[in-house]
Amino acid sequence: MNENERELLDGLRALDAKEPREPSARVERFLLAQFRARARRRRLTRWGSAAAGIAAAAAIAVAVWVAPRTLRHSPSTISHGAPRELPKSGLPDVALPTSPQPRASNAIVQADEVAASFYPTPDADALPPLETAMVVRVQLPMSSLRWMGLPIAEDLSGDPVQADVLLGQDGLARGVRLVPSSLRREP
Amino acid sequence: MLDSPSHSDGDLLRLAFAGNEQAFLAFYRRHQGSVFRFALQMSGKVEIAEEVTQDVFMVVMGAPKQYDPKRGSVAAFLYGIARNHVLRCLDRERPYLTVLDAPENDYSNRMAADQDLVGELARTERVESLRKAVLALPPAYREVVVLCDLHELDYAEAAAVMGCAIGTVRSRLHRARALLMEKMRAAERCAV
Repeated sequence: MNENERELLDGLRALDAKEPREPSARVERFLLAQFRARARRRRLTRWGSAAAGIAAAAAIAVAVWVAPRTLRHSPSTISHGAPRELPKSGLPDVALPTSPQPRASNAIVQADEVAASFYPTPDADALPPLETAMVVRVQLPMSSLRWMGLPIAEDLSGDPVQADVLLGQDGLARGVRLVPSSLRREP
Repeated sequence: MLDSPSHSDGDLLRLAFAGNEQAFLAFYRRHQGSVFRFALQMSGKVEIAEEVTQDVFMVVMGAPKQYDPKRGSVAAFLYGIARNHVLRCLDRERPYLTVLDAPENDYSNRMAADQDLVGELARTERVESLRKAVLALPPAYREVVVLCDLHELDYAEAAAVMGCAIGTVRSRLHRARALLMEKMRAAERCAV
């Protein structure tokens, strides 16, 4: 480095020393406010994800606990009139095999309940073909079965009845199956 | 305390990403000065320098994981972001920026205030003409002077910031110094 360059560097150092060293406090305040806003948003997002996860897990747990069954049982009729055939396109290929299958969940679900078949819902024909299915057990007033086209006597219409609802991949009901044990009346 | 040098930049960034406000603040306070000075020396305007400082730390806040220690120091990472923002600001302001006739609100006015001794004035004038000479350099030469001579980065670090080869840094620095000396001689001749 020659004398001129050394002089130039001294001048540059003097220049650097004379300049303001830091931005105003406004910049720090702004950044801090932004940081807090981001942290708040991140906390909310995390909480939302956790809540959604818990809700999904709870829904799955309820579905599994209430009716953890796929459709592997033979069709049969129940005493309330003759069941209609489900449209071929309305059920998955794996559904309704010809012979009853032993189930691990027999402790929870009785054999006679499993033996019942599904009645198609009135609009099942209009829905897209079933690809995956889920069965959810619900309790209904007997009168609501009239919607299915079942002849329900007036004196029974207020009684509760348990039914399995067959839900498709879109969450829409394709069929309903009554749980026979819930139909027995005390003498 | 997170302000202590025992906490590495990587630690502070990791803590800041986890939402630790003190870590972010410590990181900001550690590096804001160099980012601000770089932007000021490149642009010559306090407003631009503050805007760039703000933008650089907003980028860090938004994506602290962008920093990869294998690719260089945190300082080089920050200078790199600052450089992009400064060049964008200079492009935006080019039609309005007259480097040799600095505007009234320029920080040079603040620098010159209260310096009424004759000797000091002469030295100040010389520094001031050097500042103007630096600002009058084309950006590619200006940034190499700012990084290597004012911020004392080594050639490898400056090359990482500028995204070019070390040889390019060396040759640009040589050329930039020659241009500065030429400008300073011309300024002295005018003064005489």
